[in-house]
Amino acid sequence: MTFSYSFRLALQSILREKWIYLLSVMTIAAGLLFTTITVLFVYNIDSATKKLPEKFSVMLYLSDTISQQERDNIITTVQKDRAVDKAVFIPKDQALKELKSTLKDSAFILEGLGENPLPDSLEIKFKSDAVGPDAVQRLANSVKDMKGIQEIEYGENFLSAVHSLRTGMKTIGMTIFIIMSVGMLFVCYSTVKILFYRKDREIETYKLLGATRSFIRTPFLLEGAVIGFAGGLLSLIGILTLYYFLVFRLSSTFPLLKLIAFPIDLSLAIPLSGLLIGITGAAIAIGRIRY
Amino acid sequence: MIDFQNVSKHYDNYTALRKITFSIEKGELIFITGPSGSGKSTLLKLIYRAEIPDEGSIRVMDWAMHTLKESDIPLLRRHIGVVFQDFRLLDNRSVFDNVAVALRIRGVDEKELKVRVFDALKTVNLRHKSDNYPPSLSGGEQQRISLARAIVSDPTIILADEPTGNVDPDTSAGIMRTFKDINARGTTVLIATHNRELFRNTGRRVLKLDFGNFAGEEIA
Repeated sequence: MTFSYSFRLALQSILREKWIYLLSVMTIAAGLLFTTITVLFVYNIDSATKKLPEKFSVMLYLSDTISQQERDNIITTVQKDRAVDKAVFIPKDQALKELKSTLKDSAFILEGLGENPLPDSLEIKFKSDAVGPDAVQRLANSVKDMKGIQEIEYGENFLSAVHSLRTGMKTIGMTIFIIMSVGMLFVCYSTVKILFYRKDREIETYKLLGATRSFIRTPFLLEGAVIGFAGGLLSLIGILTLYYFLVFRLSSTFPLLKLIAFPIDLSLAIPLSGLLIGITGAAIAIGRIRY
Repeated sequence: MIDFQNVSKHYDNYTALRKITFSIEKGELIFITGPSGSGKSTLLKLIYRAEIPDEGSIRVMDWAMHTLKESDIPLLRRHIGVVFQDFRLLDNRSVFDNVAVALRIRGVDEKELKVRVFDALKTVNLRHKSDNYPPSLSGGEQQRISLARAIVSDPTIILADEPTGNVDPDTSAGIMRTFKDINARGTTVLIATHNRELFRNTGRRVLKLDFGNFAGEEIA
């Protein structure tokens, strides 16, 4: 059998049962739209928070009486940690200079101090893929009792909050994604199953005439693919319209909306996801064909 | 070509066939007769593997039914053309498509398919109804479409279950002529019928069934 004949059978079936198909396509489109909005939301939150930990550093303030040996020990210990990217020693004079340049016009408030009150310090930067509350806590624990350490300053709460937000969003996103995917799979499964039962006699006739499994199966898989792909396309049109409306129309009122990013890969991923869901749902619905 | 050895087939509350043994040679035209419910249809179904025997062994061409793999069933059926008692036509397909499906299953290309389908329809005198749909045709015409579908693929064996059950005597004679012509080209033909007029004086072998039992064999 030629593929074109299977395609013709699938097309005839779709036209004959157009209302069932339309309903399935709309349901899948709605499901994919909701899933895509979730994915976009998670993606944007993730992108916005991804760069925050890169700016993060731990400051180790050293006591004035620290010896060269003790300082080297601390640096060696810090550099041994696999999460650490670099450790930069900041002498107290440089720290004051930096503070003055930060204060700019208000630097006069430091004039009456006389002696430099700032301690020597060690600024520790983490590898971007390793930075997290656990890594920071581990490092802090490993150095806090070392001789020469006066104080450790790190934004544990901030880092934890960012980390929790990212993990939480990803978990919620993944959960919604799985639930919606299963739901859409079930829609496709049910549609093809109903049509499969409706064509029970036709399929039985094909079998008696010597049709192979693939001859019987292919039109149904194509029907599933068409439902899924059409649902995907409809969902893509929906999300692009929504994006256009939010970013180009509403952003004049809510400027923050301009920051919403739309990864271009989604334009391909949405219809392809629909296609995959459609084919998988149909394949499960047909099951094993027995003679 | 077809060999039955002590074949029995039981259903829940009755026995359709009991210890049936017979052989059919390649190129034979043979009749199976008996009253309604004598097991004729079951016997045909066992040949194209729509049923599995409970006892005994069946061999069709090179296939032993008890060892036939499920994946080989379509292959077996492609060698057999069946005229079903209930026609088994697809109501939402045209007459042309109903006949063509037997060739599409076999992967025949569209150009050759068209020629062969129209030839088969011409054989059963339904060339002019190729665009019609089965529900708009009479029972006799539907039966002839079923016959056209069975012969279009030029099978090794043709099985016909009451092929003249719904037709007038003239059409019946025409259908029998078609079977004889096909048989003359070397195809083995097996016709199940309760109509004794169909095989009277044909000089062909007739196997008789009586409520599942083999009731003898005769030359008509």
